[in-house]
Amino acid sequence: MGEAQQAVTVKPKRFSLDTWAVLLAFTLAALVRAGVFKHIPW
Amino acid sequence: MASSVAVVQVRPANRALQLLKLAPGVLLLAGVGYAGKLLEANVGKYAKTHHWTFPNIEYVLWAILIGLVISNTFGVPEIFRAGVATYEFWLKAGIVLLGARFLLGDVLKLGGTSLALVAIEIVGAIAFMTFLGRVFRLKPKLTSLLAVGSAVCGVSAIIATQGAIEADEEDSSFAIAAILALGALSLFTFPLIGHSLHLTDQAYGVWSGLAVDNTAEAAAAGALYSDAAGKLAVLTKTTRNALIGFVVLAYAFYWASRGQAQAVGNKARFLWQKFPKFVLGFLLISTLATFAFFSKEQIGALANLSRWAFLLTFAGVGLRTNFKALSKQGLKPFLVGAIGEVAIAGFTLGLVLAAQRIFGW
Repeated sequence: MGEAQQAVTVKPKRFSLDTWAVLLAFTLAALVRAGVFKHIPW
Repeated sequence: MASSVAVVQVRPANRALQLLKLAPGVLLLAGVGYAGKLLEANVGKYAKTHHWTFPNIEYVLWAILIGLVISNTFGVPEIFRAGVATYEFWLKAGIVLLGARFLLGDVLKLGGTSLALVAIEIVGAIAFMTFLGRVFRLKPKLTSLLAVGSAVCGVSAIIATQGAIEADEEDSSFAIAAILALGALSLFTFPLIGHSLHLTDQAYGVWSGLAVDNTAEAAAAGALYSDAAGKLAVLTKTTRNALIGFVVLAYAFYWASRGQAQAVGNKARFLWQKFPKFVLGFLLISTLATFAFFSKEQIGALANLSRWAFLLTFAGVGLRTNFKALSKQGLKPFLVGAIGEVAIAGFTLGLVLAAQRIFGW
């Protein structure tokens, strides 16, 4: 095999919009559970 | 073997700058949504003090109306657009948090009934839209996109199918425009029909979830009727969303068998890629709530967080609906979509009325 130089493109891993939304919701739920947010007004 | 490997690191985009670009639009969503909330609280009070007869208009409708006025008069300036487009993100986060208001037993019971109705709706909608597409001689792939959009879940389903069946971008924008325009109309017609037929919250909520195609509009159409109807509309629509992968897979097989799309390799992977992950998030939060992981006060807090997320979504529904832009997409796909949607709305209303009788909703 020739001594070719190979370029490897490393793409940063990305979550889908769905996954980000789920992560945000879980984080908020965890903060509520931990008592950081005690009362959320509406 | 190569002697050296040059690793070209794709520069991670400046995330902070990207987030900053979203800020104006997100603030606009929050401003429009909060204005809707203030109007709900104060317009009725003002009318009462002045002895006017004025219907009680919920924040959902105010937020959508303000958004529609901005979008269709001044237009949404460029600086706000990226942030306004996040309305779907807030919708999905809101749905996951809404899981706290459903005990798993209710989800299984209501979801089970919804699933049966959703299955009938999907088969009926696909068959009818395909028939209409043939009658109106639409391009076959455009017909497939309209059928998936009206049968499953609006814009997400159309985008997922476009990739899987290698449809033209133009076809997909036709189908999306038709679904969005009809979704906007349903916001005004569904509550009127529901009230005139004296539908219960449950029957109306399930009907909105079955017949309104885009998730944001389905949630809004439900919430315009009542809070309980809004919850059920989201649950039913989420059941529909959960089936997106199977329908897209079936279409991918169909077009691949005709040599007009690439064959699907790993089916399980395909299904996982297309499966909306927020459905799993919703089920997990619902499971945690069922097993008393959250106290009563915490469930109240999560429910309010979900309401705030939906507030941003409803503002976004109005802000991104531009009737002029939608009307430019051509009459034929819109006509097919409109006839199909009216038929599907009538068909699903019949299903819901039958279920109301059978299950005593």
